[in-house]
Amino acid sequence: MTGTASPPDPAIRIVGLRKRFGDRIVLDDVSFEVAAGEVVAILGASGAGKTTLFRCVTRLAQSDCGQIFLGKHAIRTLGGRQLSMARSEIGLIFQQFNLIRRLNALDNVLVGRLGEVPTWRVMLGRFPHRDRQLALAALDRVGMLSYALQRADSLSGGQQQRVAIARALAQQSRFVLADEPVASLDPESAKSVLSILRDIARERMIAVLVSLHQVEFAIQFADRVIGLRAGRMIADRPAAAFAEADHRMIFAT
Amino acid sequence: MRTGAVEALYPDPARSWIGATPVRFVFTLLVVLLVYGFSLYFVDFDLGRLWSGLPRLVHWASKAWPPDTRDLGVLIERAIETIAMAVVGTTIGVIIAAPCCIIAAQNITPSRLLYTPMRWFLNALRGIDSFIFALLFVAAVGLGPFAGVLGIGLHSAGTIAKLWSEAIEAVEPGPLEAAALTGANRLKVVSYALLPDVLPNLTSITLYVWEFNVRSSTVLGVVGAGGIGQELKNSVDLLDFARLFTIILIILAMVTAIDQFSAWLRRRLV
Repeated sequence: MTGTASPPDPAIRIVGLRKRFGDRIVLDDVSFEVAAGEVVAILGASGAGKTTLFRCVTRLAQSDCGQIFLGKHAIRTLGGRQLSMARSEIGLIFQQFNLIRRLNALDNVLVGRLGEVPTWRVMLGRFPHRDRQLALAALDRVGMLSYALQRADSLSGGQQQRVAIARALAQQSRFVLADEPVASLDPESAKSVLSILRDIARERMIAVLVSLHQVEFAIQFADRVIGLRAGRMIADRPAAAFAEADHRMIFAT
Repeated sequence: MRTGAVEALYPDPARSWIGATPVRFVFTLLVVLLVYGFSLYFVDFDLGRLWSGLPRLVHWASKAWPPDTRDLGVLIERAIETIAMAVVGTTIGVIIAAPCCIIAAQNITPSRLLYTPMRWFLNALRGIDSFIFALLFVAAVGLGPFAGVLGIGLHSAGTIAKLWSEAIEAVEPGPLEAAALTGANRLKVVSYALLPDVLPNLTSITLYVWEFNVRSSTVLGVVGAGGIGQELKNSVDLLDFARLFTIILIILAMVTAIDQFSAWLRRRLV
């Protein structure tokens, strides 16, 4: 804590996280950090514990022991109002995008402002000028401004995911958690989504934690790669140092 | 897996779909026969009486032609009153159903404690027909369409809230969760993320109930709760079949028109 010449506090810090469902251990002593502006990829086969890890970080599930810090928030011990305040700082990206189908792209990005805007304004659909400008700027940043008034369900998967990223940007999150964000996308859309994620991490000093199952994407777009297998971390290295051997270990059956 | 092992796990069914064993089949048959036997006994089912009453029906039918259109103006006014009762009654139902359906929808209910009593309450409203409610309201607020409107309102509230809460439960959970995790409170999530998704569905359900209410309003007059049913009952009491025939024709035309209109509107919504 008070170490001399210590690097700045990491944005996301996870220490000794464990979680079991009945007899099955899903997360076993998982510890790592993500710095502001850094992209960390979690690689693992299905069932390796990636989704459970994300659910623990957002407290949709409670871990059995360990610690989770997002900035100054000790996520595991928060409750009620404090928890929802901490959550409002987390931008979430989902495999299935989770946009509201019948609303247009802009209205979906404005979902990122729901935490800030007064309830009566939300109910009347009268967002303040400033919030609308913020949402439009976010859409512009992901290259979707010209689709602002198009309904979400008329957009392609890659476009929807970019709108979802804009939603996280409009939320002005300092942390972005993306659980298999490109698993339902074709390779070209996947690359564009991941490069946007990497770029916004740099520009806005956002800590990005992204789970993937394609090694080449992890190496290409992440700064660091963490390998998860049956709930255990079996690798944590810079993307450039990630080796064929790590790959085999993570996905060996 | 070896073929033998698969066969051992999933052998050909020993018997056909008719029943697991002959004993069971015979038992089922007996139960069905008993149910029908008792039911026919209790309703005094008697084709002979229908046969002897038939000449009377034919006689009445012959007296119904030509239809008596002297009161057409009044009857059409009563038909409009019937539709108006359905409009106001359904609206009362909507107003009561709106808060109830949120409590009765498993995915957004604010409290598990309220959920079950609310379901019971709605089932009670739904279980008591508009007709019965109208009967009570006629006694409480007097004869006329107002009593009918209140009856329709209460019964519809149960139906609308149940159908609405089911539509809400069928919504994709992902987008709601995404909105809730931005720190938005329940009111914001419901009004911004849920409503736009389900509104066409809810409107369609409301129209359907309204259409149903037009049909049920036609009989409310029988208990003195307004609408064209009142005229219908008068004509039957006076054995005025020519007038009765006109009323039935008006009801048919009205119900058909409303059904078509409502169906057209609902098609445009989805």
